[in-house]
Amino acid sequence: MTGRVIVITSGKGGVGKTTTSANIGTALAKSGHKVVLIDTDLGLRNLDLLLGLENRIVYTIVDVIEERCKLKQALVKDKKNPNLQLLAAAQTRDKTAVNADQLKEICDTLKEENDFVLVDCPAGIEQGFQNAVAGASEAVVVTTPEMSAIRDADRIIGLLNTKEEITSVKLLLNRVRPNLIKSNEMMSVDDVVGILEIPLVGIIPEDTGIITSTNKGEPIVNDENALAGKAYRNVAERILGEEVPFLDLDEPKGIMAKIKNAIAKLKVKV
Amino acid sequence: MSLFSDLYNTLTKFFRSTEEQGDASKSVATNRLKLVLMQDRTNLTPRILEQMRSELIDLLSRYVELDKELLDLNFEQEGDQVALMLSIPVIRAKDEEEIDAAIREHEELLKVSMAGKEIETSEEDSEEIIEEPENSEETVSEEITNDSNSDEEEKAESDKTDAIVKELNEVPKIIKKKEKKEVSAPEEIISNSGNPFKSDSNDANMVESSEG
Repeated sequence: MTGRVIVITSGKGGVGKTTTSANIGTALAKSGHKVVLIDTDLGLRNLDLLLGLENRIVYTIVDVIEERCKLKQALVKDKKNPNLQLLAAAQTRDKTAVNADQLKEICDTLKEENDFVLVDCPAGIEQGFQNAVAGASEAVVVTTPEMSAIRDADRIIGLLNTKEEITSVKLLLNRVRPNLIKSNEMMSVDDVVGILEIPLVGIIPEDTGIITSTNKGEPIVNDENALAGKAYRNVAERILGEEVPFLDLDEPKGIMAKIKNAIAKLKVKV
Repeated sequence: MSLFSDLYNTLTKFFRSTEEQGDASKSVATNRLKLVLMQDRTNLTPRILEQMRSELIDLLSRYVELDKELLDLNFEQEGDQVALMLSIPVIRAKDEEEIDAAIREHEELLKVSMAGKEIETSEEDSEEIIEEPENSEETVSEEITNDSNSDEEEKAESDKTDAIVKELNEVPKIIKKKEKKEVSAPEEIISNSGNPFKSDSNDANMVESSEG
């Protein structure tokens, strides 16, 4: 079996790479696929927190590379889903503790026995990024509808396009706020896709549930009612090759919205 | 009436639904982002852009009176190609005498600045196509092409411009200048019906130059 190695990257920090990795990984595992998540953010590891596995980490990726343990020993199984495993980053080391070849080797080994290897990339375009993309053949670029995040995403897309091994680069637009888009205060999905010009794999609405799910260490895809959880499940299905329509994020029109519309019409007459 | 409009303004502010407010913020972001991304992608620095802009203004000002304030230099992505969109509202066309005078003045300047340098002219580099909005019959292109044909210094100048364009072409994406229709024609143009150009066209006259 040869699994797919997908790097989750963004350039800018704080746009939701780790949340995305945790959720896509969990969703893929829930649908019965064997998944390994690799946290490559050495020194700033967080994927374990989002999965609620922080107390179970014994060995890290650096231990594997420095041969203090076997690769299998370092993989931590998820509490709920044995299909999902985590290879944690070392918290006490920096990005120079690992090189691209070593990471590629780990990815190559893991994809032999798993359907998916998801690599959570650190922010930036330096060594950490180069390491994370080394073993990947696909990339999901996470961005938010903000100028700085889009600019960084564009840079990352440019860098990914120079990598021959990467055959697919897709966009995940995170923290979308439909009400702001409606009032023309936030770039729309079309605006962002038009600028970055890569295919869309997901649109994730801003959801306060993300905060509570992070607090609990449980990815939001496990919450059947959360809109962001549904959106992430859809992303996983698209990655599996299914055609899933994008969520209609239009909020139901309330009284305020009606009044706003009335005012807008009045304005035309004035 | 003012009471009514005050009330109206207060209401719209309260609901924050005026399209200008929102539009401003979103489209400002989109436009700023497009420009900065094009600079990132092509390595075009603001300095080079400014130089290109001022040289284009210099060149075109010899033939038509331009509204320099409203000059709009934009990039657009069309598939793999990057297009340079230049849109300059034309206030009025100059008559032949003025154009001749402007060219002579430019020649003088050029002689001074190019003193000691050899001026080479190559035909392929001086190609310039000027296009207008469809509904305007008056053609700037004729005047400009005629004059530049009879003017070698002019070619040297466009060589200079082309050199910049060529420089831009060294980066992976091709930059070309294209016509773009001015959406919001400034009021001066509309009111200035006595100009030698077609007065029934409110659109500013657009300038296009072929890709380098």
